[in-house]
Amino acid sequence: MVNLTINGKQVAVEKDATIYDAAKACGIKIPILCHDKKLHPFGGCRMCLVEVEQMKGRLIPACTTPVTEGMIVQTTTDEIVKARKLVLELLLLKHPIDCPVCDAAGDCDLQNLTYEYKVNMNRFVDEKFNHEIDYENPLIERDMNRCIHCGKCARICDEIVSYGAYTFINRGIEAKMGTEFDGPLNCEFCGSCVSVCPVGALNSRPFKFKARWWALQKTKSVCSYCGTGCQLTLGTKDGKVLTTIYDENQGFHNGQLCTRGRFGYQFVNSDKRLTAPLIRKNGKLQEATWEEALAEVTSRLAAGKSDPASVAALATPRLTNEELFLFGKLFRGTVGTDNIDHSAGYAHEALTKGAVASFGVAASPAEIADVQKSNLLLVVKSDAYETHPVIGFEINLGVKRKGIALRIVSDKKGKLTRLPGAKTTVHAPGNEVALFNALCKSVIDQGLAVEGVAGLDALKAAVADATAEKAGVSAEEIAAIAKEFASAEKALIILPIGQGYPGHNAALANAAANLAILTGQVGKEGAGLLIMGEKNNSQGAVDMGIYPKGTGLNAAAIIDGCANGNVKTLFVAGENPVVSYPNRAKVEKALENVEFMVVSDLFLTETAALADVVLPACSFAEKSGTFTSLGRRVQNVRKAIPAIGLAKSDFEILNAISQALGGARYNNQGEVFTEIAASVPAYKGLTQAGLKDEGAVYPVALAAKLVPAAAKAAAPAAGKLALVTGSALYHCGTMSRFGEGPMYVCPDAYAELNVADAAALKVEEGDQVTVTSGTGAVQVVAKVGKRVPQGVVFSPYHFGEGSVNTITDGAEVTYVSVAKK
Amino acid sequence: MIMPLIKGLQITISHMFKKPVTLQYPTERPDVKPGFRGLHALNVSHDKAKCVACYLCPTVCPAKCITVEAGEDANHDKYAAKYEIDMLRCIFCGYCVEACPVDAIRMTEQFELANYTRADFTYTKDRLLEKK
Repeated sequence: MVNLTINGKQVAVEKDATIYDAAKACGIKIPILCHDKKLHPFGGCRMCLVEVEQMKGRLIPACTTPVTEGMIVQTTTDEIVKARKLVLELLLLKHPIDCPVCDAAGDCDLQNLTYEYKVNMNRFVDEKFNHEIDYENPLIERDMNRCIHCGKCARICDEIVSYGAYTFINRGIEAKMGTEFDGPLNCEFCGSCVSVCPVGALNSRPFKFKARWWALQKTKSVCSYCGTGCQLTLGTKDGKVLTTIYDENQGFHNGQLCTRGRFGYQFVNSDKRLTAPLIRKNGKLQEATWEEALAEVTSRLAAGKSDPASVAALATPRLTNEELFLFGKLFRGTVGTDNIDHSAGYAHEALTKGAVASFGVAASPAEIADVQKSNLLLVVKSDAYETHPVIGFEINLGVKRKGIALRIVSDKKGKLTRLPGAKTTVHAPGNEVALFNALCKSVIDQGLAVEGVAGLDALKAAVADATAEKAGVSAEEIAAIAKEFASAEKALIILPIGQGYPGHNAALANAAANLAILTGQVGKEGAGLLIMGEKNNSQGAVDMGIYPKGTGLNAAAIIDGCANGNVKTLFVAGENPVVSYPNRAKVEKALENVEFMVVSDLFLTETAALADVVLPACSFAEKSGTFTSLGRRVQNVRKAIPAIGLAKSDFEILNAISQALGGARYNNQGEVFTEIAASVPAYKGLTQAGLKDEGAVYPVALAAKLVPAAAKAAAPAAGKLALVTGSALYHCGTMSRFGEGPMYVCPDAYAELNVADAAALKVEEGDQVTVTSGTGAVQVVAKVGKRVPQGVVFSPYHFGEGSVNTITDGAEVTYVSVAKK
Repeated sequence: MIMPLIKGLQITISHMFKKPVTLQYPTERPDVKPGFRGLHALNVSHDKAKCVACYLCPTVCPAKCITVEAGEDANHDKYAAKYEIDMLRCIFCGYCVEACPVDAIRMTEQFELANYTRADFTYTKDRLLEKK
């Protein structure tokens, strides 16, 4: 620790702290424009000038000067104030005084400092900038006339997002913040630059002119897209969510959000939201009262109680823990059926079967904080970045700042591939289990396996013939990864799971866990396996037991049951199987066949359109509760706006049905959480109030065991391409289609082809192509690039039109032919 | 007893020779003094309302009677797509005029604001612009 004196106060700080950090630590505010706690110090704005007694004669920038023992610092002498006023005058020389029309007014550091330092006059005169304003980008508007050259946008884009969309161009008075070749901004639209811009140079277009910062009501909540569990602050006004507000002190991610969290909130206020219950009368869905709709539902479910096997229920892992718990209690307890599931079986088997078999718990042994504490990250699928972008930022930070080694095993290249020192092993689609088995064998062969692990002999026997050739990669690559992984002090495997990843099931989780257990990379900080559930509460749904146990049917079997008439009543809470489950034609036929289907959802989705009763549900912004993130962190979700129209939260819906059927009745969702804390062992001792803003990571007691995983041999079909499905960066599930932001950037389904394949098929970027499999055909737009290897075609699964589940049937790999329309 | 009575009558009688203060409204109109705070008006410049929808007037309005919604015109400039004053709530404090950074709103001398329906007390942008 280093001791110094700031404004007469004695302070002791870490030796790598700056004067700015030291002042902040003792509550002294030093004004600054170019600083963000996530970024490296820059020292560009010169507002943080301070006086150091040992360095008399000049003023020192506090943000870039490290502390030294015995330093005596003054932060507000007359000379300092005069210097800061001069800095502001010089900044305001070029900066337009257009605060009335600038969206940043009220939340502008320059405006606030101008007011605080009473800069009412300017001694200097110069012409203002006359840069052309970039209105072309659908999400980010750039007015470089207002830029004060703090460089925060370029730094965050480079240091954290690792995209590098901005740079300083020109020098001196001509300097400005530019893009490549000074063209329009062309990036991944995460909006990080907008969030850190201290003035109004970068603005969010969806929020443009909507409201003033001071008029917004701010509510801290949790993002409802992926399983990362990013906290966000919703800015609301007049019952509408207008924006998300950046707070560098929020969450493990320090306020960092991806494009969905930043620009995808509009689904909450969408005009397409359901505002009243609908009942099918004479073949058409017609508006009805809640009493009618609930009476219809409860009478059907009451009838189903006598034949529980004929009732099934599907829930989305977007519901809160409380709603999911109540869902389980209603169907498993009151109605008496075990036919309940969330998402299509395979999407969470890695946790419910894989993790349970390998670790003894249905959760990841690692948490998100381990990403940056590791020495080596082994990422399965390059698009871990696309499914969970903020974890991608954590990976970026770890690799670039801490020198963490990054190894990727994937069926295509992605953004992570381009990180410094990253090595990507591209394998044939569907070969993940074979690859992990080959890695395990290599670890054993190289004598790197730890001694005395449970199940070692069985694993040795199971992987005896697992070779690199079977995994479709070179033996050298396998040996190198195995050696690096085993010899790293701390190594972590990152495995995304979800509906777009049919092969990411229990076997893959076992295979990946085997590598971690075999090398002793489990049960310690910075090591283990991070199984990343796709949706915001995937982990919570598993914790609440929303999957079939015993003789219950899983989602795929429920669909079959609907088709063959065994399932007569189906309750769907927020799921959209028509678009997200494999084999769309089969799902549609099954749902049309089921006698009675209830759907509670925000929108009249493709599934809701087939229902007999549709119940309008609330979004995450209209209810309170808790979500559990993929790192086992239980966090508070808070109600920010009143319900839209007559919508009710799933808690209210399920509570009313439960009460009508003679089951449990709760006065509020908080009572359910109390019951969860009492009945779910991992949640023992938690209270909603005790979660506060930061949430709580529940502990896991591991009983690690090696579980052999059988690799399925994918049989390539001659002349056909292997279809890889997955997530597009801008979307998550099928809900993001109702957010304007994601749809501005990625509105349509597409198929991504390698340039060589595209040339052979005479397909060019933007062409309409027909992708045909044994299950069906779908027309999508072609994208051509070098990201996917030859022989592989990638397509995201989120879209209703051109939906890729028309051609998939749940197999690890689907072989398709692609032809220009 | 007598003297106060006489003094009172003196005052009464003196008023008989003064100009009466009562106006025969509506045939006679009052002379509105400078600074009078009557109905609001949106100032116009170059055939457009000067208002840039900065939201300062609804922010300072203690009665919360002003509703502004900004829009983006063809040149990407900000303008008041909606500007409404609920005159039933307005307390004529004039803070909106003081807060306006672009001199877009003023208060006129119009004081005849009686109406028959509640809706008629909502002054939309068009109604406020008319009185230029």
